[in-house]
Amino acid sequence: MAQPKSRLTRTDWTHIAFLALPAILFVTFYIYPVISSISLSLHDWDGFSPRMRFIGITNYTVLAGQPRFLHAVFNNILWVVFMLIVPTGIGLLLAAILDRGIRGEKAFRIIFFLPFTIPAVAVAAIWRWMYEPDNGLVTTVMNLLGLGSFAQNWLGDPSVVNFSLMGAVAWWTTGFAFLVFFAGLRNIPTECVEAARIEGATPWQVFWKVSFPLLWPSTIIVLGMAAIDAMRLFDVVWSMTKGGPAYSSEVLATQMYDLAFGRFDMGRASAVAVYLFIIAGIIIMPYIVYMSRRVQDSEAE
Amino acid sequence: MSSSSIEQRQTILTRTVLIGMAVIFMAPLLIAFLTSFKTPSEITRVLSIPSQLYWENYAIAFQRAGRTFLNSILITVPAVVLSLLIGAIAGYPLAYMRGSSGKVVYFILLTGMLVPFQIVQIPLFFLIQKIGLYDTIPGMWLVHTAYAVPFCTFFMRNFFASVPRSMYEAALIDGCSPNLYFWKLLLPASASGLAALAIIQSRAIWNDLLFAITLTTSDIARPATVAISGFASSLQVEYGPLMASTVVSIIPVMAAYLLFQKSFVRGLLGGAGK
Repeated sequence: MAQPKSRLTRTDWTHIAFLALPAILFVTFYIYPVISSISLSLHDWDGFSPRMRFIGITNYTVLAGQPRFLHAVFNNILWVVFMLIVPTGIGLLLAAILDRGIRGEKAFRIIFFLPFTIPAVAVAAIWRWMYEPDNGLVTTVMNLLGLGSFAQNWLGDPSVVNFSLMGAVAWWTTGFAFLVFFAGLRNIPTECVEAARIEGATPWQVFWKVSFPLLWPSTIIVLGMAAIDAMRLFDVVWSMTKGGPAYSSEVLATQMYDLAFGRFDMGRASAVAVYLFIIAGIIIMPYIVYMSRRVQDSEAE
Repeated sequence: MSSSSIEQRQTILTRTVLIGMAVIFMAPLLIAFLTSFKTPSEITRVLSIPSQLYWENYAIAFQRAGRTFLNSILITVPAVVLSLLIGAIAGYPLAYMRGSSGKVVYFILLTGMLVPFQIVQIPLFFLIQKIGLYDTIPGMWLVHTAYAVPFCTFFMRNFFASVPRSMYEAALIDGCSPNLYFWKLLLPASASGLAALAIIQSRAIWNDLLFAITLTTSDIARPATVAISGFASSLQVEYGPLMASTVVSIIPVMAAYLLFQKSFVRGLLGGAGK
């Protein structure tokens, strides 16, 4: 009777009861599918036939030699770099400017955040219209400014398509970085900023020496989310170009979708997914470890 | 050089930057809105104002995608409620547990955030078919709730951790059970956090394309995002109806954000601070 298990208090039982349902969902919808995908990636299977053929790591080795696959990996890495720098940087800049107390602050705050609330498919639809080669807004404005000769077939030219997509995504995601930074700046005790100002620091110095270091919790959230979004990127690319022209804007997610549900090559598609998982793990794991460690620190206080 | 003139010049500079950025941020939305009211003959003149309100675009959009908008509502509302609930019930013990077991569970749940959805996509497709929820709205509730677990847990755990612990201890001394404390005291006290998370979740679920495209095929369950993506990626795009359906798809979450933006910022501060 006196087993250690019976020592669990009522509080412990409550905790276990509360965690039961999330745990079941996690096992069913994360752990099981991940293991299942890894196993699928070792097979040749079209998704219909009752028999799967075990082929070992062939899917992985074939992919590693394919220019199409390597290009998608390259694009994903390009997206990570872009997402970490551009929307984050513009968001920080806008938040820092707006934090200085400007008339119409509320209106600006809404305007900068609005694009973030809209669906990726709406972003795709609107920006396909913006990028129409002949009479889209981008080309029209460039013509008006006398820059018409720089106008491109924005989504049809393999060498510019990625940058066109990035323009749309920057417009779409900057609002999130902006709002988190803005909330973070508002959270900084005014005494810190006042003290620096009285000591004679310029606004530039106040920002980089006082505000920015105190913004670290916001920064880490924005960077972490940016990396996660970059690895998961699918909707905008799929709706705008389907990865084209000639696979030039393809990322791992769209390639995987095309292989699985366009070509019914479930094994090869799973191998793409596992590669994506590994790359995402390498890039995002430090963030997860950092987040859970920060939790321990804050509890130790 | 007086310092006031430098300040004045700086104010003018910041205002100019802000207004310029605001124009860039608003232009695509404005263009979409204007285009949705243009007749087919006006549509190629991007900078013009529509000569009349041409509602035909909305009529066509409604005809082709009306049902999918209804589906989007029927999917989003319950899925948001369920995902908030699951995040709260997971976040509560993780915010209050002592010892390392809570931290281990929290870490495992957090790793879910790095899982690219693509790795679950194929097994999920077969799993949902096997349990008979393929191409159904409840199937979408289940999937959205399940994939909300890591983020909602993370968000609510941090929010709960910022609620003063003395409230918990006082309630227990008064004879309140941990279970009752959650339902009667903690949840009502977390309204702003829940509101913020509700907005984040409405956006995520309303905007989802990946799960919708994988797990629905017919108008019974297909949400608007799939319909719009279909219009947008077809070779011959009719921009009038496309922009009309795009405008309609933008409005709900935008309205929710504008209505709840105060609690959104407050909840974000509560969750992100510390």
